[in-house]
Amino acid sequence: MDETRSSTTPGSLDPVLARLDPDRGRPAQVLETVGLNLAFGSKTVISGVNIGFQRGTITALIGPTGSGKSTFLRTLNRMNDKVYSFRHEGEVLLDAESIWSPRQDLLSLRRRVGMLFQRPNPFPMSIRDNVVAGVKAHGIARGKQLDVVAETRLREVGLWDAVKDRLHDSPYRLSGGQQQLLCLARALAVGPEVLLLDEPTSALDPLSTEAVEAMLRQMTPALTLIVVTHNLGQARRLSDQTMFFYDGRLVEHGPTAQLFDAPREATTQRYVHGLIG
Amino acid sequence: MGGDESMPVDSSSPVTSLVRRGRRSRRTRASASFEDRLWHVATRVAVSLPLLGLAFVVVILAVKAWPAIKVNGPGYLTSSSWQVGNFYGSIQHTHGVAHPQGAIYGAWPLIAGTLESSLIAILIAVPVSIGTAFALTERLPTWLAQPLGFFVEILAGIPSVVIGLWGVLELGPFLAQHVYPVVASHVPNVPVLRYLRGPVGYGEGLLTSGLVLSFMIIPIISATTRDLFRQVPVLPKEGAEALGFTEAEVARRITIPWVRSGIIGATMLGLGRAIGETIAIAMVSGSVLGSVAPNLYGTMTTIAATIVSQLDSSLTDATGFALSNLAEAGLLLALISIVVNLAARAIVRRSGRLMAPVGRG
Repeated sequence: MDETRSSTTPGSLDPVLARLDPDRGRPAQVLETVGLNLAFGSKTVISGVNIGFQRGTITALIGPTGSGKSTFLRTLNRMNDKVYSFRHEGEVLLDAESIWSPRQDLLSLRRRVGMLFQRPNPFPMSIRDNVVAGVKAHGIARGKQLDVVAETRLREVGLWDAVKDRLHDSPYRLSGGQQQLLCLARALAVGPEVLLLDEPTSALDPLSTEAVEAMLRQMTPALTLIVVTHNLGQARRLSDQTMFFYDGRLVEHGPTAQLFDAPREATTQRYVHGLIG
Repeated sequence: MGGDESMPVDSSSPVTSLVRRGRRSRRTRASASFEDRLWHVATRVAVSLPLLGLAFVVVILAVKAWPAIKVNGPGYLTSSSWQVGNFYGSIQHTHGVAHPQGAIYGAWPLIAGTLESSLIAILIAVPVSIGTAFALTERLPTWLAQPLGFFVEILAGIPSVVIGLWGVLELGPFLAQHVYPVVASHVPNVPVLRYLRGPVGYGEGLLTSGLVLSFMIIPIISATTRDLFRQVPVLPKEGAEALGFTEAEVARRITIPWVRSGIIGATMLGLGRAIGETIAIAMVSGSVLGSVAPNLYGTMTTIAATIVSQLDSSLTDATGFALSNLAEAGLLLALISIVVNLAARAIVRRSGRLMAPVGRG
């Protein structure tokens, strides 16, 4: 059902708008894995995952601890590459090009595929400098423009009014939820195409969780989100597609409502009903 | 209940009386109160010892230095001659203080030498130490980092006299023959770098002293910095990597700022050591009293090195004036150390207030 939300089939749109679509001519699947096997040393963590991520959708990755979903997520922007003994087989394609291809620049890959972490991780610099840190590093904007970027992004995540009078203060005095929104603003500021979220609200209270979720929903279809979550309710509320990982394998995937209400696999059924965890 | 039958109860509530009774139980009370008093006395003694020690040292030095202070006046800090006078000639009196004829003391070259050599040492040691700490914590595999870190710690324990000996026998002559001449003839005649030009001497002098000092403080600063880097949580660093920071940017913008105040503290620890270092400098400085080194290769001396090298001959001054001058130099050194320490604290407080993580992000 939700697949219609992302469909930018030119026929269904005004032809002028279709021509303006920045994603025109790109593959419908922004990220795709082909026969992906991941391992640390001799321990296989993920085996044989073939899956595509539709542009402009939210995908939830669910599964018990140790099922490999976080490792899978962190592979998508090559965060595992520097982990000692990490090995990968198969491919991850970003716009049909391998993320490990020599033509792929690691830094620009990470600009295109951003990440939000389990716990807020502001940098040791002012609130404003946090927001523009990536923008500065990639040379996207400079000087006075940075202030504009900071304000725009802080407004975007709804943090502007709370911090506008203390832009030059330490971010560590903000509440946990505000810190996570700051990190979201920072990740958005470099203009990613895909945002990977590793249990982004697990360290937050229910109200902050709600604020972050609301924010994430607004970001599609401009952005593709891939969310690892232990919170099944969150997966259900937030995502268009859900993938269920169990013991290093992608057991089942499909539209979220279908996976929760009418799972094909017995394991999925037991997991979504809380019988295994 | 139970509280009321065995113990006389004062006017307070049953709960407090129960608590009191529990605490006051039987024979332990007397010994506990003795232990308690001993504890109080011991902690008070312990807490006042450093203060007393510092006061004692400063007061004794001040008393000993007083005759020299009276005669020299404030000019001691700015004038450059260091004439002990004729110990076997006639004795003169100035402001009621007896001193040998021709005794004129000025500590400016010692002050300049102390500050210059320490500054050179810090300028070399801080970047090298941060680089070493980075290599040990971030770049090298554990099997290599562990033994290397061990060697760094060993290096910190080498007595300064050994390093001084190496400096005067090996490093100094080697540099004067093979390195200094090349540097001196290639450096342009512009401000600051100008001091790297001119005659290079024989390897004893300001730059060699600074280098030797840096060898002595690099292990201290790098070992401390390495331990600091290990405390930086992985999450902000990963966040920066995921944002597309290069490794160098992560270091410059996350890791180092995270422990900035600690690095400043470690630097000040090293600076304190450099300012007070005595014997190695006495060996490699050239021990020239009475003039400031004209360039970085020039011979010089420091306050500490002067005290140790002049002590023997000062004891032969029957008026005690030479010794009093060394006491004044010592007092000056103590004051410089204290000022450096206070300055370090102020810097740490300022940089800490700016961006130190309060709690964990």
